[in-house]
Amino acid sequence: MSVVSQPHGHPVPAAVSRGGGGRILIRLAIVAAVLALVAQSAYVVQARPQDLVTGIHGMIDLITRSMPPDASQLPTVWWPALETLDIAIFGTFVGVVLSIPLATLAAANVTHSRILYLAARSLIALCRSVPDLVWALIFVTAVGLGPFAGALAMSIHSIGMLGRLFSEVIEDMDMGPVDALTLTGASRLQIFTHAVVPSTLPSLLGISLYRLDENIRASLVLGFVGAGGIGFQLLTAMNLFQYQTVSLLLIVTFLMVMMAERLSAYLRKLVA
Amino acid sequence: MAGPGHTLLDIRNLSMRYANGKMALNGVDLSVAAGEIVIVLGSNGSGKSTMLRCVSRLQDPTGGSIEVAGNDLARLKGGELRRARMAVAMVFQHANLVRRRSVLANVCTGALGHHRNWATALGLVPRQEMGKALDYLEAVGLSHLAGQRAGTLSGGQAQRVAISRALAQLPKVILADEPVASLDPQAAEEVMGLLRRLAKDEGMAVLCVLHQPELAARYGDRVVGIQAGSLMFDMPANQVSPERVATLYNRIAA
Repeated sequence: MSVVSQPHGHPVPAAVSRGGGGRILIRLAIVAAVLALVAQSAYVVQARPQDLVTGIHGMIDLITRSMPPDASQLPTVWWPALETLDIAIFGTFVGVVLSIPLATLAAANVTHSRILYLAARSLIALCRSVPDLVWALIFVTAVGLGPFAGALAMSIHSIGMLGRLFSEVIEDMDMGPVDALTLTGASRLQIFTHAVVPSTLPSLLGISLYRLDENIRASLVLGFVGAGGIGFQLLTAMNLFQYQTVSLLLIVTFLMVMMAERLSAYLRKLVA
Repeated sequence: MAGPGHTLLDIRNLSMRYANGKMALNGVDLSVAAGEIVIVLGSNGSGKSTMLRCVSRLQDPTGGSIEVAGNDLARLKGGELRRARMAVAMVFQHANLVRRRSVLANVCTGALGHHRNWATALGLVPRQEMGKALDYLEAVGLSHLAGQRAGTLSGGQAQRVAISRALAQLPKVILADEPVASLDPQAAEEVMGLLRRLAKDEGMAVLCVLHQPELAARYGDRVVGIQAGSLMFDMPANQVSPERVATLYNRIAA
């Protein structure tokens, strides 16, 4: 007879026993709380599913007028598409370069100065908590309309996102090599480049590539506030009711995002 | 190289109290001479590893002195401490190699304290150390693995590379914290033999924490027993009786 099929009848300690009236009540309360939360959000956003049904004609009309995509506009799409890509590449690169030292300062296991640690954490939090669209609006005011404003916005927001993730990677790293190099009389910078960087590099590269992938998607939206790229052209075409141009731009956008996702996933596998 | 008998490591009244008030070390006195290998025995939590971490100043002691080659490590700070503790190398339980770097690069990092310049600060290995690093690897019988990633080594190989890294540091004192804890018996013998050779042939002072009394008796010159942060005995290795070891580990001798 199988061992598994033979119940031994040992008493189950109270600490590990599941169920019981109290626990069921707690679970019911949690489910009720979640449902209440969703119900209030539906009320606040004025969710009316019937509008989707009645509005279906408008959507079909829009799709009909978008077809076929206006291929004659293709030559004018390449440059904004390149701008969108380059906003993401520039933003990711600057974000990675600046967030590595900042993340090191924001990692408690390698930064012993409480003041530096808190300052770095605060700066990273500030960069992250302001949405990239708001950063874009700020930089459009500072440097004018165009892709540079978008690239700056992407850089600052990337510092916030990457800084936090990088500091977590550094805090989770094995401190053994750091201890070993500390005893050789190595300087802090030597310990960083010879122990911290090689130990965390695969994770940092993976996160950076994932960020590039995210940034390409985000840079499309930055164009809506005048920060350059294909988003700006998309908004212009919508405002001018050029729906066939809109559909062409959406196809180009879709292809760009898909290719970026594939490339990023492939490179992440390579560095893993 | 210091002559035999010359004290290289002199620990006096070393104490360590944690923030919660618990005494990890309680007035430890211990000296190790050039060419001597001293084994520290004691049960888990007795303060053996804390003593080694305090001696290397990976942890700050709360009292006492640690004299190494005329410097009191316990009182030094900043650059002075960094320079002075280059005389003390440590071999850790888990080797603590940078797993993604080559064996040769790992050995070269032992000499980083002797090459504080922009090239090494940018992550480059000191070129002039490569030849010597190969010699150190040759000494531990692993020069043929110089180009291999450290993460691919077996436990015994990794520990021998860690000893090569310690040699690249040109230390006077080697601290070894349970260097054979995760090794098979043959690899353990090799590592202990290597540490003993460093003491006898190179005149280094070796302070080694172990859990194996039989290895302590075979490879140590002296054995010290530590219990609850205090030294219980310090005697020649060949005079340590099974009863004394059993008392140290709170068990009945066989």
